[in-house]
Amino acid sequence: MFLSKKGVTSLPICPSGSVGCQVSLGNLFDRAVKLSHYIHSLSSEMFNEFDERYAQGRGFITKAINGCHTSSLTTPEDKEQAQQIHHEDLLNLVLGVLRSWNDPLLHLVSEVQSIKEAPDTILWKAVEIEEQNKRLLEGMEKIVGQVHPGEIENEVYSRWSGLPSLQMADEDSRLFAFYSLLHCLRRDSHKIDNYLKLLKCRLIHDSNC
Amino acid sequence: MIAEPSGMDLRQLLLILALVCANDSLSTSEVILGRPQIITCRSPEQETFSCHWTDRDFHNLTTPGTVQLLYMRRNDEEWKECPDYVTAGENSCYFNTSYTSIWITYCVKLIKKDEVLDEKCFSVDEIVQPDPPVGLNWTLLNTSLTGIHADIQVRWDPPPSADVQKGWITLEYELQYKDVNETKWRELEPMLTTVVPLYSLKLGRDYEIRVRSRQRASEKFGEFSEALYVSLSSISSVLCNEEIEFPWLLVIVFGTFGLIVVMFLILFSKHRRLKMLILPPVPAPKIKGIDPDLLKKGKLDEVNSILASHDSYKPQLYNDDSWVEFIELDIDDPDEKTDGLDTDRLLGDDHCKSHNCLGVKDDDSGRASCCEPDIPETDFSASDTCDGTSDIDQSKKINEKEEDLLCLDQKDNDESHASSADPTIQKPNTNIQSEDNQSKPPFADSIESTSPPVRTQISNQSSVANIDFYAQVSDVTPAGSVVLSPGQTNKTRRTQCDAYTEPAIQCQPNFTMDNAYFCEADVKKCIAATPHDAVEPHVQEQSFNEDVYFTTESLTTTAENPGAAAVEASSSEMPVPDYTSIHIVHSPQGLVLNATALPVPDKEFMISCGYVSTDQLNKIMP
Repeated sequence: MFLSKKGVTSLPICPSGSVGCQVSLGNLFDRAVKLSHYIHSLSSEMFNEFDERYAQGRGFITKAINGCHTSSLTTPEDKEQAQQIHHEDLLNLVLGVLRSWNDPLLHLVSEVQSIKEAPDTILWKAVEIEEQNKRLLEGMEKIVGQVHPGEIENEVYSRWSGLPSLQMADEDSRLFAFYSLLHCLRRDSHKIDNYLKLLKCRLIHDSNC
Repeated sequence: MIAEPSGMDLRQLLLILALVCANDSLSTSEVILGRPQIITCRSPEQETFSCHWTDRDFHNLTTPGTVQLLYMRRNDEEWKECPDYVTAGENSCYFNTSYTSIWITYCVKLIKKDEVLDEKCFSVDEIVQPDPPVGLNWTLLNTSLTGIHADIQVRWDPPPSADVQKGWITLEYELQYKDVNETKWRELEPMLTTVVPLYSLKLGRDYEIRVRSRQRASEKFGEFSEALYVSLSSISSVLCNEEIEFPWLLVIVFGTFGLIVVMFLILFSKHRRLKMLILPPVPAPKIKGIDPDLLKKGKLDEVNSILASHDSYKPQLYNDDSWVEFIELDIDDPDEKTDGLDTDRLLGDDHCKSHNCLGVKDDDSGRASCCEPDIPETDFSASDTCDGTSDIDQSKKINEKEEDLLCLDQKDNDESHASSADPTIQKPNTNIQSEDNQSKPPFADSIESTSPPVRTQISNQSSVANIDFYAQVSDVTPAGSVVLSPGQTNKTRRTQCDAYTEPAIQCQPNFTMDNAYFCEADVKKCIAATPHDAVEPHVQEQSFNEDVYFTTESLTTTAENPGAAAVEASSSEMPVPDYTSIHIVHSPQGLVLNATALPVPDKEFMISCGYVSTDQLNKIMP
């Protein structure tokens, strides 16, 4: 894809002394954006399927007004905020969100099977999302290593404590827990996808995608 | 004082009643008019959003009340009212960037006087529907060699409101196009680029193109752009039209030309055959070596010379057909009837009637034999000819019977031959028959019988066969004249009959005699013997008849042919001499037969064959 070096002026692609610098930043971003877009697509589809199948008429949406477990991470909420934040911070936030979802996704895969008559598509998508999320995390860590090498990041992430809710005996409550989780997953995947595209245009294409 | 509290109670009661009534009226009005609903909330660029609702409320009937939209964000505790009712139009609420937060759940509700009409919760990233793309244009990429199709490239710009450059929103586009005359749009797969080629558009037609966009990974598309009008009809080349149309004109022209060429080829290659088919040649009397024109013109000398030159001609020239071959059964031919009148009369209906012979129209000399009732006539046509006319084929078969005929004739001759008229009958007939093969014993023409009795005799004796018509050359005078005598009919005929061995008759086309009392049949045979045998013998006969006439006439014209003149005179008088004597011999060119002027009662006899056998003459002549 685009291997423009316009964004190099702001930061080195391969900083000197970096041994493992093989893939260009632009290439990394391309891959990252593809992955994030893929994850978001899967999440949207899975949520829609779940919503159609289990959440109709239950009024879950009104209840889901409560935030997700990643709300503690102060991520930009609109475009101005996203433009003002520094790309390194933004990258760190992306990493934090991705890390925060490692655990929930893992449990989602295991717990969604317990849903009564869960369609295979939901199961498959859950597995796929969990796997791709790991890959995206690895890619982002590489990107961060290139953009801001050397620094050991405080791994910022939000802990998830929603497992008991997924295992509740009450089916209605359990379904609502799944609904909330999937709803949050869709939102956060979209957020990550947006941030990465923003960073890509800013860093690689010099804000001229 | 009691009245006041009662009045108060009464007013309250009335007020309550009024309120109730108002409520009732209000509810009924709402039921009638329908409730306004929030239709859509939409964000075009993921930076702002607006909500629109329909309002079916008729202000006249309901209490004037404003519809309010309240919103609440996730973290808020109370509902807030719409910050902007104006910007987005009527019945809308517009949230600008300061009020918009992405990835945050909003709830909006429409109320009217504390009555919730509709409520909806969403997040802004879910309601993104971009504006339509702008700046559609197209360029021609190339046209096909056939001039029928063309490729174009369509280009557009993303909606200006969407901040695509910074990557805040990523759009994908869907292009639709169709022919202006069509009703169904064709779609392309959603694409991320703003440039797309369209392949195989037809020249000469106009197309419409429109594009819409949506946020990537969303489901809802924005509105379509304005349709782009692509006019390819102006580019269509003349070639295109010509190619499409079938070149009818060329096909017709070349087809006609080819047909003409083929026809000419056929004409030239089959020239003769076509000529034969279209214009079958009228068989002229063919005497081999003799130009009919000579006869017509009366060039007797030349004719004689030609005839004489053919004296040495041997019967090999002739067909194998015997004279009998030229006995034709010509029953159906009207011409034959008309032309053969003489012989018909000669042999005649009388004869036929008397002898129960079937009327034969042909006047061949073979009638007499033909009319032999004992003669098997299997070969003859159904209407057997008494007169012995037969087809050539039949005549061939007749050859076999000729002997019988002859013999039978002789028999009959012997039997029926009683009258003195017989010799008269017999005499004038030159015995054309040769010993070789004169298969035609009866030459229909008996020149002799001019008198009716003779005729009858002849007719009577027709069964006797044509032997009566034979005139035998009895002697050749030193002067060179041949004396024909009637004759020893039986004897001669028997001799003839005996001598008749050869089945085939070869008609010597050359008549060595100037005066040619040729039996029509003889001449016919002769004619038939010529290569023109294929021609209908009837025709030949006719022509031969003419020849006979011509011959006599032509002969008579010559001074050297007093005999002929005599003959002619006799012929004109319609006398048929019994026999002719050779008056002059123009050896080897011809003989002049001097016909004795005997009264010939009928003309027919003149016509009838007083024939000279050319073979006999050949034998006689040196």
